Amino acid sequence: MRAMVIDDSRAMRMILKRIVSKLNFEATEAGDGQEALDLLATMTEVPELALIDWNMPNMNGLEFVTRVRSDPRLREMTLVMVTTESEQSQIVRALAAGAHEYVIKPFTEGAMIEKLALLGLVPTGANS
Amino acid sequence: MSVDVVVKEGDLAEMVEQVWVSYLDPEGVNPLVPTGDAKQPSEVHSSVSITGSWTGHVVYASSIKAAKMAAAAFLAMEVEEIGVEDLSDVLGELANIVGGNVKAMLPPGCFLSLPQVVMAPDSATKYPSAERISGLYGVWDGEPVSVSMWQSRDGRNEGESA
Amino acid sequence: MTLSQSDFSYVSTLVRREASIVLAPGKEYLVEARLIPVARAVGAAGVAEFLSDLQRRPDKANERLVVDALTTNETSWFRDREPFTALTDVVLPDLVKSRGAQRKLRVWSAASSSGQEAYSLAITMQEHLPPGWSFEIVGSDISTEMVKRAETAEYSQVEVNRGLPAAQLVQYFERAGAHWRVMPALRRNISFKLMNLTAPLPPMPPFDVIFLRNVLIYFDVATKKNVLRNVARLLRPDGWLFLGAAETTIGIDDNYERVAAGRTSAYRIRSAVPVGAARRG
Repeated sequence: MRAMVIDDSRAMRMILKRIVSKLNFEATEAGDGQEALDLLATMTEVPELALIDWNMPNMNGLEFVTRVRSDPRLREMTLVMVTTESEQSQIVRALAAGAHEYVIKPFTEGAMIEKLALLGLVPTGANS
Repeated sequence: MSVDVVVKEGDLAEMVEQVWVSYLDPEGVNPLVPTGDAKQPSEVHSSVSITGSWTGHVVYASSIKAAKMAAAAFLAMEVEEIGVEDLSDVLGELANIVGGNVKAMLPPGCFLSLPQVVMAPDSATKYPSAERISGLYGVWDGEPVSVSMWQSRDGRNEGESA
Repeated sequence: MTLSQSDFSYVSTLVRREASIVLAPGKEYLVEARLIPVARAVGAAGVAEFLSDLQRRPDKANERLVVDALTTNETSWFRDREPFTALTDVVLPDLVKSRGAQRKLRVWSAASSSGQEAYSLAITMQEHLPPGWSFEIVGSDISTEMVKRAETAEYSQVEVNRGLPAAQLVQYFERAGAHWRVMPALRRNISFKLMNLTAPLPPMPPFDVIFLRNVLIYFDVATKKNVLRNVARLLRPDGWLFLGAAETTIGIDDNYERVAAGRTSAYRIRSAVPVGAARRG
């Protein structure tokens, strides 16, 4: 399975890549929404999962989610926001735009894995 | 004009602790220990500015060593391997995360700036029209680390680096 | 007394496998410190003896104790998920059929700790009971501090990240400073009491569902029997009891029988006359 990690912080991308690699995802990365869309356009196989920051230059996470959900080629991706934006209204906006789940920073590895498990992306017996 | 807001030391402490539990000390063996020493020195700092219904800044400051330790934890590298770009990125992300959590406690309608990172003591950046309203000061493995919150007195945001 | 390398290695492998935690070398003192209470609880002479027994005779429950002792203290919402799925898919439909007259269910979270289990149960009830039905949840714990925490119903950012779907976070919680607090509408049907499960229990109307999870493993067999006997008195004859993933009544209390419930097991009072097809979950 493939995952794309989208955040303008390299440090955060490293953390997310480590976690998804533990779950046997092949990880690609992008520094903002536009870069992610450009990268997705070149991929023959669309990743099953994207972990997306909100506040990024060029194209923020909310815009990326909206674009992906309206693109028939990308629509099937599971989209998880990973962000410091934690107001109720922000979470509602993201879910309404089509994000499947929402993780607030800071998050522990265990919490991220549990969120992915909620989405059926963790093979059973592999909270390991 | 900034609405007066109560974000106390305890709130800052909790936010910082959660960053430690999540990324810097997941096993709970090397926490940030509060010292309350507001005068402790720093060698690098990063900040985010908040604008909108509240104006001010959230500043992370520490020794270079503490910053490298944080970068090493984030990037799964050895402290010795950490370069300036890595350091800058991690310092920025720390300010972003703490700033984001502070913003969540403020009235709706606030915006977070991109982080600013300065490889100099936090005393080098002046906020002439802001005052420090809250701060958490501690040591991490013997190294000074602090997070402070500054509120603008008159709605202007200025950060002048020496 | 320090942990041997092989014991440390064994524990590292175990927690890595069960909880994705990586223990770096040099943390032997930590493992030692965290396992002393566990060794004591199971009656071993010390950590070394406990671990050598465990390696010789693997035991899921004791392995769980080791993992719990070394993970940070975050309790999940909808912990282990399968019991809650079983509630939704098997138990609630069964109870809705048999409680048509009262249209009300009583649930007991019998080791409620900081309250996540009780509120998770409330969310499940709220979302899966038919309109016109009501529910009441009692949470109990032996610790006054925990009861207070559960009543306050406030959780940190890090705590609400754990196993709680975002859609439910925004529906059932409101911001309270740096924390999230369960909304009053959901808290209305929940109360928390101080209770010691090993002592005679206060009289309470019986429950349709009891969650007694991850508490029996801390007791010796005699106490387990005592607790299960006390709990049975408070379970409706056709009620459902859920234990922790590594726990069972088998070999301890014959008054219960284990039944399949979705992908997990539940325990029901054994009766001479089968109550009907629904019992088989």
